[in-house]
Amino acid sequence: MIAQATVLDDLRAIVGDKHAYLPDDSPTFAVDGMNPKAIVEPRTYEEVGAVMRYASQAGLATIASGGRTKPDIGNLPARYDLALSLSRLDQIIEYEPADLTVTCQAGISVPELQRRLRVHGQKVPLDERPGKQPSAGGMLATNSNGPSRHAFGELRDFTIGMRVVTADGRTTRAGGKVVKNVAGYDLCKLYIGSLGTLAVIVEATFKVMPVARIERTLAFRLRTSGNACSLAADLLRRGLALSYLQLRGWNNGANDSWLLEIGLAGSEGPVARSENELAGMAADFKAEVADGDAPVNAGATDSGESKEARGLLCRFSVLPSRLSAFIGGLQALEPPDMVAEPATGVLRASWPNSAAALTLLERSREIAKSHSAACFVERCPPELKRRIDVFGDPPPAFELMRRVKQQFDPNGILSPGRFVGRL
Amino acid sequence: MKRSTLVRDLKGAIGRHWVLHTPEDLLVYEYDATIDRGLPEVVVLPEDAGGVARAVRIARQHDVPVTARGAGTGLSGGAIPCEGGVVIVTTRMNRILELDPENQIAVVEPGVINLDISRAASPYGLYYAPDPSSQKACSIGGNVAENAGGPHCLRYGSTTNHVLGLEIVTAEGEVVLLGGKTANTPGYDLTGVVVGSEGTLAIVTKVIVRLLHKPEATVTLLAIFDAVTQASRAVSAIIGRGMIPAALEMMDKNTMEAVEPFVHAGYPPDAGAVLLIEVEGLREAAQEQADVVVSICRELNAREIRIGLSQEDRDKLWAGRKGALGALGRLAPSYYILDGVIPRTLLPTVLDGVYEACERFGFRVANVFHAGDGNLHPNVMFDERVPGATQRVLELGEEIMRLCVDAGGSITGEHGVGYEKRNYMSWIFSADDLEVMSRLKAAFGASDAFNPGKIFPTSKGCGEVSSRMRAAIAKVGAGAYV
Repeated sequence: MIAQATVLDDLRAIVGDKHAYLPDDSPTFAVDGMNPKAIVEPRTYEEVGAVMRYASQAGLATIASGGRTKPDIGNLPARYDLALSLSRLDQIIEYEPADLTVTCQAGISVPELQRRLRVHGQKVPLDERPGKQPSAGGMLATNSNGPSRHAFGELRDFTIGMRVVTADGRTTRAGGKVVKNVAGYDLCKLYIGSLGTLAVIVEATFKVMPVARIERTLAFRLRTSGNACSLAADLLRRGLALSYLQLRGWNNGANDSWLLEIGLAGSEGPVARSENELAGMAADFKAEVADGDAPVNAGATDSGESKEARGLLCRFSVLPSRLSAFIGGLQALEPPDMVAEPATGVLRASWPNSAAALTLLERSREIAKSHSAACFVERCPPELKRRIDVFGDPPPAFELMRRVKQQFDPNGILSPGRFVGRL
Repeated sequence: MKRSTLVRDLKGAIGRHWVLHTPEDLLVYEYDATIDRGLPEVVVLPEDAGGVARAVRIARQHDVPVTARGAGTGLSGGAIPCEGGVVIVTTRMNRILELDPENQIAVVEPGVINLDISRAASPYGLYYAPDPSSQKACSIGGNVAENAGGPHCLRYGSTTNHVLGLEIVTAEGEVVLLGGKTANTPGYDLTGVVVGSEGTLAIVTKVIVRLLHKPEATVTLLAIFDAVTQASRAVSAIIGRGMIPAALEMMDKNTMEAVEPFVHAGYPPDAGAVLLIEVEGLREAAQEQADVVVSICRELNAREIRIGLSQEDRDKLWAGRKGALGALGRLAPSYYILDGVIPRTLLPTVLDGVYEACERFGFRVANVFHAGDGNLHPNVMFDERVPGATQRVLELGEEIMRLCVDAGGSITGEHGVGYEKRNYMSWIFSADDLEVMSRLKAAFGASDAFNPGKIFPTSKGCGEVSSRMRAAIAKVGAGAYV
């Protein structure tokens, strides 16, 4: 192993003295409590390439990061030598509003990107959390989608091109900048959600969309999750002007308490009609209006972003028709706080203070299995992480995935150990 | 090993009725809707994934390549066995296995015809969105292989945006499930890379598709313009107004001329272009958008705007568009269908370039295409009996692809790279980009097992296609669609 001081010198030769340094006592670049040996902040794709060539030759396990809003997502890193910060790659490369496409660098913060698009009445349908500063590349690497995906698509739907730096330091492209394109393998799909285990994302091209003239948020209180899910299904069937749909439930003792948040977006006519119909339907489902137009506070259950919490947060994916029954199963186990997407069947369940996290996880995975649901642990205490694969059992195509990893990162230096089956 | 043992082994594995090997039987499987041809050594028609897997293993033991074939309507030679070998035809695998209206999912076999999914889903108020113009004939397996598009992809996206999971047979003959019915299945998105891989990574034996609710209201508008440039400007204006219609199609004068005698659409003989625009959603939304489209087209001096609200009226407005390619056969003995994409704001400039190039080469061109997403389909008309015409039409095609690439676009929006365009791949991808793609192929263990000669640039020719058949190019079959 090369000495830390040598590594630092070598990195400084690439990016300059100011942008390669040793970690101080702050946990800024820590992943699951592990600190890197060095931090490097390249500003160009060429510099990222040179860093990766170096890391590849020196065998340095490298973890790329952007806004670091979900630093601990994934399995425990097998090794962690180098933190590759992309936050200086923060430019918009090309934006032609009339083409409805934007190309930006991976390190740009999503709120900043949205601000720039908003000037032209447009946005990327990314579901970044209010108050958070995720980077575009980070959202891509973690495939972060939210409750508007059923209306506007997921990252895999509106990402049309990418530039990545390979493990051996070559800058390569996939897709393009036109909205329709079937030339070559769609490697964008492969990189999205790969947690930085195949390549370092340095640039992306997104389809953008117009911001609706009117955006409204409504919320209804419901007594049971069954009623809430039925109301949601009915809303979806009617094709109302929905921009998102989210269901929250709290563990407040004996009573079930559910809040269905509904985003409406569009022009006056469709939004007005949707509001009217909603009011009628709400009565049918015994739903009470809550808080009118104000967005409801997300709370700590969101998505594993709260570093202080040591509890267990799982993301389940179940068929929407089984969501309510599945929720019932979890509640019988130990009632969690929940945020669900009734349209897609994605459910985040959080047990903030559970003492027996492992047992709880094992039992909720059994319930998930009986509902053919997937379970991904977004957050858990580090001691638990050592004992589990946060992705659960390897998927049926695991052998193919292992071979993909082997082809793209033969020396195992890109976020080693963090992906499915500890790839 | 000899061909006779290959045939014998396949008969043993698939059943003797479902293995074709006589010259007259094989001839039917040497072409699709493109110009390329390639004769398979053996054709098999398995009835399930197990049969596909057995056929693949036998072909691998005999060291011959495997090419999958659906309905044979492809426009990039995807089903043409460039290097001979075994062709696996999926037409017997044509069952809709599951239809789950509550979760808006269907599980289908690859031989199911695209439109049949929507037919089956219709009683539940659902449909399958991707609508290649060949949707009455093309198979979902072929759609997956080519990542097929269609007019309504403008709003709803291509095949890849509607496929949740796949069952595949790998080059090792293993049956593997990718993705699934729920969101966020764990691991790399292999479904996403197999869609559009043109049959080079795996053979698809099951497809899990997403169904959409039918919109409450649909309005179809047909706007007639004096000139293509006006129509192009209207396209930019509609998109620029922050509106994404369900479909936004253009046909130029030559197309209208060809279509009119068949469809009697009433296109004025001196009109330069028509736009076909479809807006949909809630009644209020469709009406509002239709109003915006009308006012934009008026501002840009459309000479006539027709509006269709009922299914019957809308079908009439679509008839000219849907029959366009078939009708083009009247104008010239042969035509060459191109497929390129450009940023939509460059539509007027690039279209000018297309017309200019065609004029310089001395060929007529009919443009009928997905204007809203910048997906051009110039159809170049020529007479292959004229010495040298074929060669010149190919050169022209190459020049038009260059125009698309120089505009920042792509060499294919929905037809695929196939054999014909593989050497253009290096115009848009570097050697490193292509090398990374080849790593994916290696991961699937599929180096030359599946559909060799496609996508990747090479100096090697596609069997007999290379010299002889490419010289006799562009005999487009009657069943071609764009």
